[in-house]
Amino acid sequence: MLSDYRREGLGSNGRAGHDRSMNESMHVFDRTAVRRHRDRARPGDVEDILRDCAERLLDRLDDTHHRFGRALDVGGRCVVAPLLRERGIEVVSTDLSPVQAGQNGSLAVAADEEFLPFAPASFDLVVASLSLHWINDLPGSLIQLRRALRPDGLFLASLPALGTLAELRAALTEAEATLSGGAAPRISPFPDLRDCAGLLQRAGFALPVADADDITLLYADPLALLRDLRAAGETNAVRLRDKRIPPAALFPMALSLLPRQDGRVPITLRLAMLTGWAPAPSQPQPLKPGSGTISLTQALSEPDAPPSPPNPAGSAR
Amino acid sequence: MTETAVPVDPRLLEILVCPLTKQTLTYDRVRNELVSTAAGLAYPIRDGIPIMLPDEARRLDEA
Repeated sequence: MLSDYRREGLGSNGRAGHDRSMNESMHVFDRTAVRRHRDRARPGDVEDILRDCAERLLDRLDDTHHRFGRALDVGGRCVVAPLLRERGIEVVSTDLSPVQAGQNGSLAVAADEEFLPFAPASFDLVVASLSLHWINDLPGSLIQLRRALRPDGLFLASLPALGTLAELRAALTEAEATLSGGAAPRISPFPDLRDCAGLLQRAGFALPVADADDITLLYADPLALLRDLRAAGETNAVRLRDKRIPPAALFPMALSLLPRQDGRVPITLRLAMLTGWAPAPSQPQPLKPGSGTISLTQALSEPDAPPSPPNPAGSAR
Repeated sequence: MTETAVPVDPRLLEILVCPLTKQTLTYDRVRNELVSTAAGLAYPIRDGIPIMLPDEARRLDEA
């Protein structure tokens, strides 16, 4: 009884991880590299940026009257779990890297976001702050996260969207074209904001919302940007990345090409903030097609007629 | 194993399933492992942290 999303990720022997070569061509990211980058990440060095992003995401908790009992923190890198505990929520932290999972001060589980080990309806809140963008089968992961939620449980996630690190992407491409006449994928392909809302819907979340939040970081020394990316565990894990050592001149040239503003280099983080709910009967439901009682012709032919009494079927779809 | 094994928190045992089969797990206290008979894998617990990664699990047929 494997459902489609799981079958996609499984090899011929039915075991993921043991045989991933079969459909490797579908895989954009090298998960072994992701794991390595997270193992050696030092999130404490970029705590302020990570915490700012997490706070912006968790602000959405204050918009709801729901009380949450137990939350799953996916890849929260020590900033999400404390913020949830402050709100009186019990936290289970999970990360692909056991090292990172264990540092959150909460119940910890090392797990692959593509193969989550949680029983259905285990949580009433799932928070993934900047942690879902190195996943190959993102729709599959979202479906599994939805299933781990109780009905009417809340899913909150932020993903770097298209526009993130745009300055660095442009500078690297230009420098590399100058030096070698070509360009390798050095920055991850980020999703468009519009795709994010579609993803939530596809994964079966109710009341899906995706909005953008731009953060501009100013760097006096652009080398610090590269250090920060490394500390956050965000170095390049694109499977088709150029694994050769880049020309020595590449990064210095790219960094010198970054646009400056009053002597500092502005770097954009465009966060796609995603909100969705596990479906529950108590939520507002769309009406069934064909349940209207007034014909459209009638409604359109009487533009000045007083509004009809509240008519649920007449509402726009 | 000579080191003192840190057992898994019972609250985790309630919610963990096998990541591949989504079937329930049995907790082997002696080996300090979470066993998925359906997948034929035993997931280790290190420092109290269940390592639910199929790549790091012990295959039961090799025991």
